[in-house]
Amino acid sequence: MPAREGTYGLLAEFDTPGDLIRAARQARQDGWRRLDCYTPYPVEEAAEAIGFHRNKVPLLTLIGAMIGGAAMFSLETWISVLAYPLNIGGRPTYSWPAFLVPAYEWTILWAGLSAAFGMLALNGLPALYHPLFNAPNFRNGATTDKFFLCLEALDPKFDLVETKSYLESFQPASVVEVEY
Amino acid sequence: MAHDSHAATHARTLPADLSAPAFVDTWKMRALMAGAAFTVLAALLAVLDHSIDHVLRAYILGLTLTWGFAVGGLALLMVQYCSGGKWGLLLRRPLEAMSRTLPLIFVYWLATIFFIKRLYLWAQFTTESSTAEGLRAGLLTELQAHCLDFKRPMLNPVAYVWVCGLCFAIWGFYAWRLNSLALQRDADSPENTPRWIKKFENISGPGIVIYAVTITAASIYWVMSMDPTWFSSVYGLLYLVEQGFQVLAFAIIVTIALSKAEPVHSIYRQTEQHDLGKFTFAFVMLNIYLNFGQFLIIWSGNQPGEINWYLDRIRGGWGVIITLDFIFHWLVPFTMLLSRDLKRNKKRLTRVCQFMIFAVVVNQFWLIEPSFKDAARNLHFSWGILEYAAVPAAMMAFWVAFFCTRLKTRALVQTNDPHLAEILEPEHATA
Repeated sequence: MPAREGTYGLLAEFDTPGDLIRAARQARQDGWRRLDCYTPYPVEEAAEAIGFHRNKVPLLTLIGAMIGGAAMFSLETWISVLAYPLNIGGRPTYSWPAFLVPAYEWTILWAGLSAAFGMLALNGLPALYHPLFNAPNFRNGATTDKFFLCLEALDPKFDLVETKSYLESFQPASVVEVEY
Repeated sequence: MAHDSHAATHARTLPADLSAPAFVDTWKMRALMAGAAFTVLAALLAVLDHSIDHVLRAYILGLTLTWGFAVGGLALLMVQYCSGGKWGLLLRRPLEAMSRTLPLIFVYWLATIFFIKRLYLWAQFTTESSTAEGLRAGLLTELQAHCLDFKRPMLNPVAYVWVCGLCFAIWGFYAWRLNSLALQRDADSPENTPRWIKKFENISGPGIVIYAVTITAASIYWVMSMDPTWFSSVYGLLYLVEQGFQVLAFAIIVTIALSKAEPVHSIYRQTEQHDLGKFTFAFVMLNIYLNFGQFLIIWSGNQPGEINWYLDRIRGGWGVIITLDFIFHWLVPFTMLLSRDLKRNKKRLTRVCQFMIFAVVVNQFWLIEPSFKDAARNLHFSWGILEYAAVPAAMMAFWVAFFCTRLKTRALVQTNDPHLAEILEPEHATA
């Protein structure tokens, strides 16, 4: 992909999560679709405010869990029934109660790994570059105590002057333009 | 900082009247009517069955069920005093009310003293000579006679009365102490709240340990000793987890129902409901973990003295019940509570919680009924088996009625708590 140039978007900084959510909700209501919220800790209402209700992490976790459980159970069954059918204490070779514990552990392991890596992949991580880090107040605030709303230039409603005054109507601490 | 005031202006305020809403009285009336109806049904079934044996067995199920709510409620109250968390503020008064139903459980238990001979072998054969005689007459197997003699120091009628009496005294002490201190805390000035929090923690911490020991003793006497040949060191923990399971389910049902009206309406948030759903999910997992762990150990050992307990409960049709128990007690709550949307939905979460309490009854039925000679490895229909529905339903209904009177006696929201201000805020302010 060729390097993009020009304006990435306008970034408004807020002091409280409540202010951010009110602004984000209003912007979504006013028809904005290319917008994002940035907070130092998870604020679920911010995701809901910009219309981000669902993600695919639960589905990935479920698929991962089922694959893990089925894989281990099949492996144990194959080993004990087909590959090395040993008589252990007179029990049947297909002794499912004993198979359940490792199968369960693998279910958990695969569910956890799928959730963690699925989340990273769906977030577009690892990302080597993000234009927002060009804004000095974002660099310092987004991981400590500031709450950001970014209206992106890709949105058809975007206009440098009008959008700036629109964002200022929410009384943010500041509005800055962010370059690619 | 003009923006800081926003959170405060969006916060809800508590109503002036914090007492329980009027519909709690309607619950009480309905519960009393249901209790009367099920009592009549239980009597009718006993007449049809020409025996009260099953009434007595089902009575033990009713006792463990209601005892689970009362003493389990006390335990969860102590846990939330130690763990903190805003969910605790939401459940505190319902849990206190559950712990104050202990007198009714004590009365339920007192009645058992008069019929232990019909339920427990250790109450019939109280001396070594009587077990020897029972063995000769073919009333006991060799294993049973041996176990009865070996366990006699604990399993005898005198110890039954003393140990259970002591357990009730201990639970009563903790229930009284935590309930009376909670009122004093509310009457005190808010500056002393940190001291109160410490105080509740210091009482509850050791209380949880003592609770675990006492319910182990009680569950051994009431249920486990129906089969004197059964040994399992995890038995008390199974009941501990079962109580957490049923208490959370019941507390969620009550809180959601109360949230329709003030004062709970203004402190009720989806965030805490979601947390409680997750907490319940943990107990669903822990329960299957311990139950399956016990099974796996006995299955691996494959000892003739140990496996009978499971064979009694798997063969002769009981396999159907344990399969249903697995589905009701684990599979259904597990798959349902896995869903985030369900945990955040009042109506559906209530349905799942009601189903979980039903599953507890099925599980107890599977534990109790096969302990007796006529039912072990032989699941069969008799009018008496329906007592397992009628008797616990009646006892539970009377317990619910008593619980409603307890709920009415004090304000439903504890005001001297630092969490109160937070729980009144909009959900996103304190993520």
